Amino acid sequence: MKEKLLELKNQALAELDQVTTPDQLKDLRVKYLGKKGPMTEVLRGMGALAAEERPIIGQIVNEVKSELEEAINAKTEIIEAGALKQKLETEKVDITLPGRKQTAGHLHPVTLTLREVKKIFMRMGFEVMEGPEIENDYYNFEALNLPKDHPARDMQDTFYITEEFLLRTQTSPIQARTMQSREPNSPIRMIAPGTVYRNDYDATHSPMFHQVEGLVLGENISLADLKGTLETFCKEMFGNTVEIRLRPSYFPFTEPSAEIDISCVICGGKGCRVCKQSGWLEILGSGMVHPNVLKMSGYDPEKINGYAFGMGIERIAMLKYGIDDLRLFFENDLRFIRQFK
Amino acid sequence: MLASISWLKEYVDINVTPEELADKLTSVGLEVEGVERLGEGLEGVITGKVTHIERHPDSDHLWTCQMDYGTGEIVQILTGAQNVKLNDIVPVAAVGSTLPSGMKLKKAKMRGLDSFGMLCSAEELGIDAKLLLPEQREGIFILPADTPIGVDIKEVLGLDDVVLDISLTANRGDCSNIIGLAREVAAVLNTTFKMPEMNVAEKAAGNVNEMAKINIEAADLCSRFSARILKNIKIGPSPEWMQKRLRACGMRPISNVVDVTNYVMLELGQPMHAYDYDKVADHTLIVRRANKGEKLVTLDGQTRDLEPSMITIADTKNAVGLGGVMGGLETEVTDATVNVMLEAATFDGTSIRLTSKELGLRSEASGRFERGVDTVLNNNALNRAAYLLEQVAGCETVAGIVDAYPNPVAPFVIKVSPAAINTRIGVEIAKAEMVKILKSVQFEVVEEGDNLVITVPSWRYDVTCDADISEEIARMHSFDKIASHMPALPLVQGRQDVVEDVRDSIEDYLVSVGLNEVMTYSFIHPNMLDKLELAQDDSRRNVIEIMNPISDEFKVMRTTMVPSLLATAAYNLARQVASVKIFEVARNYIPKALPLKEFPVETRMLCAVMTGKRDELNWTATKENVDFYDIKGVAEGLLAELQVEGYELVYESQNYYHPGKSCGIKYNGAIVGYFGEIHPTVAANFDVPEDTYIFELEVASIVEAAIKIPKYKHLPKFPGMSRDIAVVVPTTVTMSELETVIRANAGALLKAVQVFDVYTGKQVAEGSKSMAFNLTFQAEDRTLTDVEIDEVIKTVVEKVEAEYKAELRK
Repeated sequence: MKEKLLELKNQALAELDQVTTPDQLKDLRVKYLGKKGPMTEVLRGMGALAAEERPIIGQIVNEVKSELEEAINAKTEIIEAGALKQKLETEKVDITLPGRKQTAGHLHPVTLTLREVKKIFMRMGFEVMEGPEIENDYYNFEALNLPKDHPARDMQDTFYITEEFLLRTQTSPIQARTMQSREPNSPIRMIAPGTVYRNDYDATHSPMFHQVEGLVLGENISLADLKGTLETFCKEMFGNTVEIRLRPSYFPFTEPSAEIDISCVICGGKGCRVCKQSGWLEILGSGMVHPNVLKMSGYDPEKINGYAFGMGIERIAMLKYGIDDLRLFFENDLRFIRQFK
Repeated sequence: MLASISWLKEYVDINVTPEELADKLTSVGLEVEGVERLGEGLEGVITGKVTHIERHPDSDHLWTCQMDYGTGEIVQILTGAQNVKLNDIVPVAAVGSTLPSGMKLKKAKMRGLDSFGMLCSAEELGIDAKLLLPEQREGIFILPADTPIGVDIKEVLGLDDVVLDISLTANRGDCSNIIGLAREVAAVLNTTFKMPEMNVAEKAAGNVNEMAKINIEAADLCSRFSARILKNIKIGPSPEWMQKRLRACGMRPISNVVDVTNYVMLELGQPMHAYDYDKVADHTLIVRRANKGEKLVTLDGQTRDLEPSMITIADTKNAVGLGGVMGGLETEVTDATVNVMLEAATFDGTSIRLTSKELGLRSEASGRFERGVDTVLNNNALNRAAYLLEQVAGCETVAGIVDAYPNPVAPFVIKVSPAAINTRIGVEIAKAEMVKILKSVQFEVVEEGDNLVITVPSWRYDVTCDADISEEIARMHSFDKIASHMPALPLVQGRQDVVEDVRDSIEDYLVSVGLNEVMTYSFIHPNMLDKLELAQDDSRRNVIEIMNPISDEFKVMRTTMVPSLLATAAYNLARQVASVKIFEVARNYIPKALPLKEFPVETRMLCAVMTGKRDELNWTATKENVDFYDIKGVAEGLLAELQVEGYELVYESQNYYHPGKSCGIKYNGAIVGYFGEIHPTVAANFDVPEDTYIFELEVASIVEAAIKIPKYKHLPKFPGMSRDIAVVVPTTVTMSELETVIRANAGALLKAVQVFDVYTGKQVAEGSKSMAFNLTFQAEDRTLTDVEIDEVIKTVVEKVEAEYKAELRK
């Protein structure tokens, strides 16, 4: 009996030695330690043994059993480690295949630029005002010191709807609308973004485009304040290395008037095709609000003065992103729009 | 305005380079857009005389010329031009010279004979043919007989000049001439300028006031009209020195009389006109409005229909010119003209502007009247022109000027406070410095206590108030010297309206779920509304029309954004964009009544369109096209993002939608938007596929919900329980109907119902579908038991089965 058990043990250990897979291991465990295995058989046959032999054989059975258990367990660990190793070695994804992703869409570059401009001015305490796109002659022209037959009206080829109503040619009418909605002579710091329209359509003109108008009114506001505000704006928009230059100009609603140039963002001021070799880019029109404009909207130019400015958003977007054709903004080719963030 | 620097130098000393001058002028508000060196690339071309010319023995078109450069040596040059004659003086590009085209001259052999250079045409010298007399345009440029030989051609033709291209602002009409610019140049260079010679000899006999009459009938359109009479004029070409200056400033020489009037206009800014004195009936010029139906044949030979708004110059019989715009053919100065009447006048700029626009006759003269001319110095032009004509046309001038000037312009005087000017500019400029600046630009200044009393020069009609004086001081002081400063204003809330915040949220959400923002024109072609199949009585057909559209394509203000977005989708599909998901937030323009009498309503709308593939091509993604539930997902997702709750979807949409695959969004009792599949007919009209989906939403309707602040709800303390049921129902039963029954019978413990599967096919009977729901139960005070939930589920299933002849799917 004892010999038989030891033989069984040796046989099992020999077989265990040959085992290489978890399945074989499982079979082996069942074969020797399972309910129908030889150990069970030996235990079952114990009844036939002499009473004094039983504990001895029982002990041997248990020893053999636990020895086998241990050996199998040890082997299991080895085989599992090997299997894991092999699994990790063989399992491999193609990391070059594209991922499963949710692709976000894109805002239009004009919106992106408008939002940035608004953000910069809001940080400086400006209110954002809106106004109608279908304006009347009074707000679009007269209240801005552009009486009927003023030649400057021709510069802004206007789309008319009736004698009185028109598509606003600028966001400036919101200046007058805001002044008239306020307590006379109260301070104002506002910008007015919006869509404007001019009857001009070619490679460099779109009949619809976007402007941001600005107005600051208060006591003792000066051209130096205008320069400071817009210098801050230009540096925030185009980076702190940008320089600005004011050039005397003419707008009917401001006096003195100034065009504001920034040092060319493409060439850094050395001169290139975009800045026509001048090193400067025209970016804003501005000036001290004309006394007539203040008077017409109920402000007293003896007490209150201030400045106004206006900029074209497409122009700023073109410079910012290096876009070279204005028409792209309104063609809405998604291959264009998807380039901006 | 093109300004010749050599011309400027006649009246003001310029000791800086053209580029430096350009920068200085730009810095005081006269923006120089370009500095052009006329003879750029032209080197070594000299004048030469043809001393012998004969046919090339072996050619029927070449000529062999012997050229004299005054060096004693005779040089042989061959030419193919046919207009060269013996003793002509012509430009010669000798061996070693270069032309503006980049060509460098070398010795050449033509049919066996040597040619040591080339005779040049005007074009080869880089002169614009438009600026030449007709006879100068063809063949070799034949120079006047008195031209010296052996001289650099640049000197002879003024190609050594530099021209500034100045972009004048509308207020600085006074600088649209050489003298006006010379004044500014003198001021910026801190020097002086002088006026041109204008002492007229006045040798002709006669009393000018008896020889001609001027009558201003329309005094509102003409504030001054004066004339001089010149006798025995010899019409011919003007001298080369005058021609080259005209060319440099972009004007074509014509004949001495016309050239002098143009020359004086360019020099002094006063447009002029010359009449054949003997053709003016009764030698009388009348300034009046045109009569109704009156006609005039203008200089260009065209018959013009005149309107009473037009300034007409007439003699005692007929109209003879359109004042300030164009003269009449009848009284034109011709080769046969003997006596000339010269006009210098001030016409109303607005009238000129409208007339020249109406007739399409914009000219150097009309442009100057539009900006305004110096009425007070009007007669300077007559004197200068008469002086020049005496020199270049051999005529004699009758003494005196016929001058109709009913209301002489008084000098304009302004009193300003230097302190106020400093406040406005934000600098401290001393009073004495201000006086110096103002005097440098020819203002007369008298100090009166703390103030300055300023007399504005007659040509500065743009200066009308103290703000204008502050500009003069600021620009001459230099804008560069103004230090930057931030406005000292109270701190306030920098903000935008909440509607704009909501608009930003809408845009951000739609972008986050893969839609792209587009920007389309607010005006559309009226046929877009037909393509949308709108009913004839649809209120959206009441569109606001633009009087002067660019084309029919941009004719009416849109009342719906759908056509613009559909057109954009079609545009992209045509460019092989596989997945088109676009949106725009913009305005619709709804008139209260037409024609427009009051401001229309500008309604802010969101419009989105989806068509093509659901996903960009990806090996993990479906290759399917978008469908109804994609647009619905976008709409529901957006409304959820904007905290819009309690809206209802109803089978009620617009006739450009597929009636069974679209719906209206009913919220607070009103339809505030629609979404769904496009109507197949409309899809065909817009060239988009039938599986194109539209979503429209009125922004204002959801603002209130969108700005709510979400309120926190306690998280459950006990675990919830979830059960799935699947029922088979006829396909006509909607999810919402089933959900209603489930909710009505599941009791208070039910927290959520989600449909997670809808199936039609082999596993269920035809005409039926299986819908699977997940029910979530939750109690606030205890952990639920299976027994109690099994009971609830049992009830729910029984009720659903009873109500919809449904069966529980096993």
